[in-house]
Amino acid sequence: MNSLVQKYSKSSTAHDDDVLGVHGKWDASLDLAFPTFDIPGAQNPLSFLRNVTDEASSDYKIKIQHGTTTLAFKFQGGIIVAVDSRATMGNYIGSQTVKKVIEINPYLLGTMAGGAADCSYWERELGRRCRLYELTNKERISVAAASKLLANLVLPYKGMGLSMGTMVTGWDKSGPNLYYVDSDGSRIKGDLFSVGSGSTFAYGVLDSGYRNDLTVEEALELGKRSIFHAAHRDAMSGGSVNLYHIHEEGWTYHGNHDVAALFWEYQDLKAEERAAAVGKQ
Amino acid sequence: MSIMEYNGGSVVAMVGKGCVAIASDKRLGQQFMTVSTNFQKIFPASEKTYIGLPGLATDVLTLSERFRFNINMYKMEEERDIEPKTVAHMISSTLYQRRFGPYFVEPVVAGLSKDNTPFICAMDLIGCINFAKDFVVSGTASQNLYGMCESLWEPDLEPEDLFETISQALLNAQDRDALSGWGAVVHIITPDKVITRSLKSRQD
Amino acid sequence: MSGDYSFSLTTFSPSGKLGQIEHALNAVNRGVTSIGIKATNGVVIATEKKSASTLIDDESTEKVAVICDSIGMVYSGMGPDFRLLVSRARKYAQQYKQLYMENPPTRILVEQIARVMQDYTHRGGVRPFGVSLLIVGYDEVNGPSLYQVDPSGSYWAWKASAIGKNMINAKTFLEKRYNDEIELEDAVHTAILTLKEGFEGQITETSLEIGIIGTSTIGVAGKDREEFPLFRKLSPSEVKDYLANIA
Repeated sequence: MNSLVQKYSKSSTAHDDDVLGVHGKWDASLDLAFPTFDIPGAQNPLSFLRNVTDEASSDYKIKIQHGTTTLAFKFQGGIIVAVDSRATMGNYIGSQTVKKVIEINPYLLGTMAGGAADCSYWERELGRRCRLYELTNKERISVAAASKLLANLVLPYKGMGLSMGTMVTGWDKSGPNLYYVDSDGSRIKGDLFSVGSGSTFAYGVLDSGYRNDLTVEEALELGKRSIFHAAHRDAMSGGSVNLYHIHEEGWTYHGNHDVAALFWEYQDLKAEERAAAVGKQ
Repeated sequence: MSIMEYNGGSVVAMVGKGCVAIASDKRLGQQFMTVSTNFQKIFPASEKTYIGLPGLATDVLTLSERFRFNINMYKMEEERDIEPKTVAHMISSTLYQRRFGPYFVEPVVAGLSKDNTPFICAMDLIGCINFAKDFVVSGTASQNLYGMCESLWEPDLEPEDLFETISQALLNAQDRDALSGWGAVVHIITPDKVITRSLKSRQD
Repeated sequence: MSGDYSFSLTTFSPSGKLGQIEHALNAVNRGVTSIGIKATNGVVIATEKKSASTLIDDESTEKVAVICDSIGMVYSGMGPDFRLLVSRARKYAQQYKQLYMENPPTRILVEQIARVMQDYTHRGGVRPFGVSLLIVGYDEVNGPSLYQVDPSGSYWAWKASAIGKNMINAKTFLEKRYNDEIELEDAVHTAILTLKEGFEGQITETSLEIGIIGTSTIGVAGKDREEFPLFRKLSPSEVKDYLANIA
């Protein structure tokens, strides 16, 4: 009896010893190592994962939240980031209030397209690493370095079904910077990107209205309008527009704009313009 | 992606007190791209009967014309208006004739019979009829519509209350379906008139 | 006269007549008399059934035919021609029912049979039917109705009519006896009396065939057990009862 009690009390104290693994020395190399995941016990995990996560496959089982329109562009006043807020699972609209801009830190933004979980997990991981970098080096990480960190983070999982198309943007020593990073391994520096199922629609509006000498106000409006038109035409995009402006002091949030209201606003505007044009003639 | 979902769209019909209602969204898409926001999915069969045809748009067009032809012939030969029940069986027969190469539509019929008894029914794409006494749903938002109708519908609704119920059911169902929406149209069929209204809805 | 045009069954004579159709009508007028009477709540058709020999088992011949639940038909003229029309009519009724899940209204079926008969007046390689028909039915749209179809394909609706050998006398008799308030029960009596007028010899239950449909001849169908008027033939014992009442 006594031994029995002892056995359990002992094991429980042994367990309590280091429940969260917080005791002992912190090992930086361990903590900065790549996170590990359980791999399915299939004969060929890679092809198995590819099969169950591919929408075109007949074995499509893992249905992740998808569908997006995001955009970001550089201009004389910095960078505009604009995204929609819809998450779809197949045809079903899972949410209309998704935050697709991930605020990595006050100077860095990441956007979210593709798998919602993949994007938010890896960008949070990126945020952690950026903070560690900052603590270690006593200065903020550059956008180039941050984006490369993210690209390198996901590359080992290439072909296993990760789905992530993101833009890493921010202001560092070199000024405004914009990178496109995806789960296939791309990492592209550029001035203007749109990512997601509605990107083609957004590009149409964005390209026709884009100039480098846009004022901040004009640029914000262009970003908003581009996302709006994508939300209108693309079934997988919608909800509302989230707007950000990146400048020397970091990013500023410029509000959430419901697409339902925007449609009637823009329609009224169009009618006014037409009336004005007719008046002129 | 299923061919039934290629163009998107949904239809719902409900029974009220001495009246019926049928409503649909207005979207025409190509997969996830919205091509039109004014696509007709509900067609008149007679003064007091309407046919809803959600599904593949090409078949919606073909069948709506075919049914118009058949019903006009019926009207001339029999010198009377076709009954909603007869419309349903005519559609069902037409669909089963293509059992092994079906039209990709799941029709809904709603109407009042000669003695103004409400009638609604829905069909699968090869003509199996589902007669219902409360409501029927069809299209890409059908699951959402079931959820809405189960919670909103109640027996013996007067025409204006039925309008409110079917409108809320459709609008809220299509707001959770990526392939339906972009406007809506509602027909309330009563013994002495049909009220048709377009609904303002989200455009995303 | 028509002999000049006997080279073709389907060519008009200069006077505008088609000889063959007139000949077909002659065949009808030699046929056994049939009667039809429409009542307020139903319709009746009746005909004589006389066998050429007492040795014939007369249960095997049928002159009043059921077309579908709501429609029945009788003829005067040539039996084999009638049977072909019966099978055509039955097939059409079933096709209509397969399409619409309901029986054809009487007029629709009559129109269809008339079309077949008309077709046989101008098609190559065929001759007109040697029968006139009396078709009765009861439907939701028109209630009870009685139609006559001739070999030419013409058809009319009647309140009461007769075809065949004794047609003229029978019609005169019916004109005297008919009124707009007549009910099915009386109509059956009148039909029997009319046939009796021209009947040679003793009339019995086996020498009469009667079919009726109306609000009193009810069939039941469907999961809701809906009731509807059903065309049915009177059994010999029923006919016997009617005969007893008359005598």
